Amino acid sequence: MKSFLGKRAIASAISLIGLIVLVFFLSRLTGDPTALYLPVDASLESREQFRELHGLNDPLIVQFGTYVSDLVRFDFGDSIRRSEPALDAVLRAFAWTLQLALITMSLVIVTAVIVGSLAAFHVGGVFDRITTFFSLVGASAPDFWIAIVAIVLFSVNLGWVPTSGTGTLWHWILPVAVLFIRPFGLILQVVRGSMISVLGSAYVKTARAKGVRNRPIIFVHGLRNAMLPVITVIGDQAAALLNGAVVVETIFGFPGVGKLMIDSILQRDFSVVLAAIFVTAVAIFVMNILIDILYAVLDPRIRY
Amino acid sequence: MKYQNGRVAAILLATTIAGQAMAQEQTVTVVLSEELDVVEPCMASRSNIGRVVLQNIAETVTEIVPGSGLQPRLATSWEDMGGGTWRFTLREGVTFHDGSSFTAEDVAHSIARTTGDQIVCEIGAKFFGGIAITTDIVDEHTIDITADPAQPILPLLMSTMTVVPAETPMDSFVETPVGTGPYTFDEYNVGQNITLSHYENYWGDMPEVLSATYLFRSDSAVRSAMVATGEADIAPNIAVQDATDPATDYAYPNSETVYLRVDHEIAPLNDVRVREALNLAVDRQAFVGTVLADGTLLATGMTPPSTLGYNAELEPYGYDPDRARELLQEAAADGVAVDSSITLIGRTGNFGNVLETMEALLQMFQDVGFNMELQMFEVAEWENSYSRPFAEDRGPTLVAAQHDNANGDPVFSMYFKYASDGLQSGIQDPQLDDMIAAATAATGEEREQLWSDTFAYIHDEIVGDVMLFHMVGFSRVNPRLAFEPTIKTNSELQLAQISFN
Repeated sequence: MKSFLGKRAIASAISLIGLIVLVFFLSRLTGDPTALYLPVDASLESREQFRELHGLNDPLIVQFGTYVSDLVRFDFGDSIRRSEPALDAVLRAFAWTLQLALITMSLVIVTAVIVGSLAAFHVGGVFDRITTFFSLVGASAPDFWIAIVAIVLFSVNLGWVPTSGTGTLWHWILPVAVLFIRPFGLILQVVRGSMISVLGSAYVKTARAKGVRNRPIIFVHGLRNAMLPVITVIGDQAAALLNGAVVVETIFGFPGVGKLMIDSILQRDFSVVLAAIFVTAVAIFVMNILIDILYAVLDPRIRY
Repeated sequence: MKYQNGRVAAILLATTIAGQAMAQEQTVTVVLSEELDVVEPCMASRSNIGRVVLQNIAETVTEIVPGSGLQPRLATSWEDMGGGTWRFTLREGVTFHDGSSFTAEDVAHSIARTTGDQIVCEIGAKFFGGIAITTDIVDEHTIDITADPAQPILPLLMSTMTVVPAETPMDSFVETPVGTGPYTFDEYNVGQNITLSHYENYWGDMPEVLSATYLFRSDSAVRSAMVATGEADIAPNIAVQDATDPATDYAYPNSETVYLRVDHEIAPLNDVRVREALNLAVDRQAFVGTVLADGTLLATGMTPPSTLGYNAELEPYGYDPDRARELLQEAAADGVAVDSSITLIGRTGNFGNVLETMEALLQMFQDVGFNMELQMFEVAEWENSYSRPFAEDRGPTLVAAQHDNANGDPVFSMYFKYASDGLQSGIQDPQLDDMIAAATAATGEEREQLWSDTFAYIHDEIVGDVMLFHMVGFSRVNPRLAFEPTIKTNSELQLAQISFN
């Protein structure tokens, strides 16, 4: 296991270096950010002064050299837009995204696994049909539309929850609910399909023949074996959330890393873009390693 | 005794609750479309920064008041001393939020910091580019400010100059702005909110609003919903489709003017008949109430009607496609290459429905016979086409732009847009250069007349550009407030001007 983790860490580090180099040069290809930061009427002298202050007049390779030498000291540079260290801005935003992702995925996993397993137990039954219908609708509905409709219905018309923001527990209800819908639909379908396959296997039939009750059959014998493909999809959905739920963050005013990244790309705030990509990439690498470990825990046949 | 204690406790409790309720009532929440990246007073010409900082935290030397023109603020009077120098007499008894007294040294420091080269301040870049400003402190409350080249509108320019204490660092932006305004900057929870509260030692009248919270939501529908639910009191700058409630939603001229900048140096656009044909090809009225909001005004000049020297006698070009075709035929008969491919350049996200507007314009130009194609650029690429230096190998281009002038004087616009060496000028006309220089140097009624003549010359004689629209903005205001947005709401939101119904 230790050698596996070592190899994964080295592979991740190489990928990370490649990613940073690629993003550095690709982001510079988008052009000079001066026009975005100064007013249209700004004089040529002001523009030149701005470029000089932010090192934009240096040749690209010199900029890259400076960036790498700073990065070795874990200095991602300062945000042009915010006049603060880029890493500070990213870590602050990432904390919000991490909370949002953890809460949402916890709820999604618990509910999708339970509901998907129960649906698989009576395939074609009323419960199965209803859950399949709503999970497919949820998985395919655009979240920007759901978010706006939810605000109009639950905040403006019913007045149950705040429209947006982060002040209280009530503020989390709508964003978590909107983020919940899509991964819930997808994971529920995978759990259902996997469980249908497992529940038809010989050892489940044997358990039934021995008189084992339904609940242990589903949640003890069946679920553990059905979880491997589910974990893969959970990892995929969690990675998407860690990258930032841009639409939900934007609409509900959540100061997460997805919105920060998009704003920084649009503003050509290169230091923040690179820091954000670095932090989310590290988080995703760590999560993938955890998923690999989880595979081995769930299935003793898997050894690294 | 026990009974008396109970009464005292009840009275204290009641007054505490009443006090809290009153404080709550005297608090306003403003929801802005974009989070502030910095809270630096010298960047307050950016609209979202200005709505928090300008005249609330940091005050300017002078102030433009809609309907009243230039008014005193931190300066009580000013006098032209000749040779480009103006003497400003400063208000006495004013203190900064840190307790220090406001003096001429603070004004000198603020000017040096805003126009200096250690930080790039938007106010310096936007209003003082190419102007060398020096100061001479006469006494504690008198300062001479000299502009080179001389600026007859220096007092007007000083309406953009935010004043900070002399101790403010020259080489970095502040994270906690300190000014002389009626509100102190209390806290910035990045990503969440900014709070201000009333400054007890403010030199002016006691405002009704005692504290304010600024929230940030980029979606217009959410901002309007927040006012509808009472979570916010003011949502400046909501989209037209969200301004659906006449009881709470205000439309007002937002000081933005949309036009097509014509490049006079390249054929066929160097022919006045072609430029007139462009103007006659556009059915401006058809845009109003359809892709653009009701209340949008047809433009004849670069600045909105509230600006000094606005020429109300000018008529927008009517929609006359037949005459446009005739003009093109006449030009073609004289050898003008009217069938040259012209590029119409728009900027994505420039204003609501910009793409629909640009596509409709393209269709109208093509209908009268122009060989034209549309290209939509994001801001940096668009800027390359809009501002000098222009590409040597460029073809004939029309660049769609939206220009903001809420400052009340055309000088903030005309040099940049029409002088031969103006940064965004497509015109090389010595006569126009002289007219702009004369109007810039004049004062009073003569200034008004000269600007008016300049607008007429550009619009009627040289057919400078394709002027399109003076835009309107929409804001939603909670009915508990007595506040009506004005043209200034585009760039500032003075809490002290808000009262409660």
